[in-house]
Amino acid sequence: MTDPLVRFSRVHKRFGTYVAVKSLDLDIQRGEFLALMGPSGCGKTTTLRMLAGLEQPTSGTITIGGKVINDVPPHRRDTPLVWQSLALFPFLNVVENVEFGLRMRGVGATERRDRAMMWLGRMDLKGFETRRIDQLSGGQRQRVALARSLVTEPEMLLLDEPLSALDAHLVIRMQGVLTRLQKDLGITFVYVTHSQSEAFSMADRVVIMGHGAIEQIGRPQEIFRGPKSRFVAEFVGRNNILGGSVTGGMMATPHGPVPVPTADGMAEIVVAADRVAVSRNRPDGTAIRATFLSEEFAGTGIICYFETPDGAEWKAQVTEAQLADLQPESGQDFWLSWDSGAVHVMRG
Amino acid sequence: MKAVSALGRVYLAALFLFIFAPIAASFVFSFNSDRFPTLPLGHFTTEWYARAFSRPEVWEAIRNSLIVAAATSVLSTFIGFATAYTDFRYGFRFKQAYLALALLPPTLPLVILGLAMLAWLSQVGLSGTLAGIIIAHVVLATPFAMAICRLRLNQIDPSLEAAAWNLGAGQWMAMRHVILPFCAPAILSALCLTAAVSFDEFVVAWFVSGLNRTVPVMILEILQGNVDPQINAIGTVVFLTSMTLVIAAQVLIFRKRRHE
Repeated sequence: MTDPLVRFSRVHKRFGTYVAVKSLDLDIQRGEFLALMGPSGCGKTTTLRMLAGLEQPTSGTITIGGKVINDVPPHRRDTPLVWQSLALFPFLNVVENVEFGLRMRGVGATERRDRAMMWLGRMDLKGFETRRIDQLSGGQRQRVALARSLVTEPEMLLLDEPLSALDAHLVIRMQGVLTRLQKDLGITFVYVTHSQSEAFSMADRVVIMGHGAIEQIGRPQEIFRGPKSRFVAEFVGRNNILGGSVTGGMMATPHGPVPVPTADGMAEIVVAADRVAVSRNRPDGTAIRATFLSEEFAGTGIICYFETPDGAEWKAQVTEAQLADLQPESGQDFWLSWDSGAVHVMRG
Repeated sequence: MKAVSALGRVYLAALFLFIFAPIAASFVFSFNSDRFPTLPLGHFTTEWYARAFSRPEVWEAIRNSLIVAAATSVLSTFIGFATAYTDFRYGFRFKQAYLALALLPPTLPLVILGLAMLAWLSQVGLSGTLAGIIIAHVVLATPFAMAICRLRLNQIDPSLEAAAWNLGAGQWMAMRHVILPFCAPAILSALCLTAAVSFDEFVVAWFVSGLNRTVPVMILEILQGNVDPQINAIGTVVFLTSMTLVIAAQVLIFRKRRHE
């Protein structure tokens, strides 16, 4: 493997007494689409801001291309950021916004205009160059912000929840634009988001952060199917978690013994919602009893929510046809079952 | 809030009448041929304007006032903007005290401020000079400039300056290409308003002006001699100048707000 483009080594960041990022080790490869994901306050944005030089690590080193850049001020780095608020300059028109980076770097007037126009064309914004920012739609602003960041042809682009202000249908479209752009340019994208669907649909690798530390790094599928900790399993969502002590391949649970293919000791298992079957009559094999609460239409199916007698929430994903068969009503009891192959084991 | 009650309207009308009637009267009598302000009016005349503006000391006072107003507006807007930016950009201990001090001068009784200024300026040998009046007026006007600039800086997207750094602008470049253009309407507005504050100001100027009288000080000196319709003429000119500056300040702020 070649040298990474970016390396965080034992990076700590404190704000007063608050520890935002602790002991972070992370390599970012050239040309990859990396998503930093986690709940708010997990340190993902601080990590991104340290990369851009907007925050300084309290200790540890950050290198870009092998050079330590801890003390390099933001304007001497080439780490353009697409802001959550977009931060377009309201007193400049579209093309003036796009050429700002070139102007600050002393590129001559004709050259920077040409390069800005090229990027506007690339972002489907031809004809908008003299518009004011407040005359643009949300999607157009987004593309102006992208053009403004890419005009200096950087090695990497940082994105801080750039799609959070857009309507749902635009989000999907912009996800396509971003993935294609990243593949075409072949540059590194570091993408901060709290949205699982954004991270999993676009990124090559996903970093899950919690409480200032990395919980898990992996390809989307790895994280989705094989969460390493309860935190990741819960954050990724639509997972059911069951814990207990295992002896002889059986875990003791409040619902009776459940087969778990692991060595003796304490363990937790994860059963993804889309692998849970719902039935009115007790099926063969492992099954637990739970009370139906409500259902929710999700993009991929319908999520049914249940409560077990010990008060835990369980989720099962069903199709519309299955829902029509079951006709569940709030308060009715059902059996939830799964294939033993669907069980993912986490060890503490 | 659709229909302000009829009573409310009457009250509002009465209020404005109460405030503006004396000014309007002064305006009307400045064009009235009679020596004393009595009804019915005499005939229309511009005689009082002609007489007032043929006096060299009036022109001298106007010149003084213009110099003081121009210098005050530039200096106090500069200081006011710098203070507001410090507040916007940095967090530090005693910031609340710093802000309170910066906003304090207009709350002081003018007589006290005037006396203190006189004492202090004569210590440093500046009393009776235009520079002395300018210093006193800068103290008075800076908080207004600061308030206007703060208002504008409060509207800025906090990421905007960092975005400029991120795109390769150093601190000064970001100030020049992002903060100043963003604040331009507020800065122009502050220039107008502080000029108006200085141009109108009487009490402090009266204490520190000595022989270099500004317009309001000169008006009082003419008044002390006798009641003269020339005062109405000069007053009308002063009022229109100040109103123009204040309205310009308002328009600059509101025009920018509309498309944001």
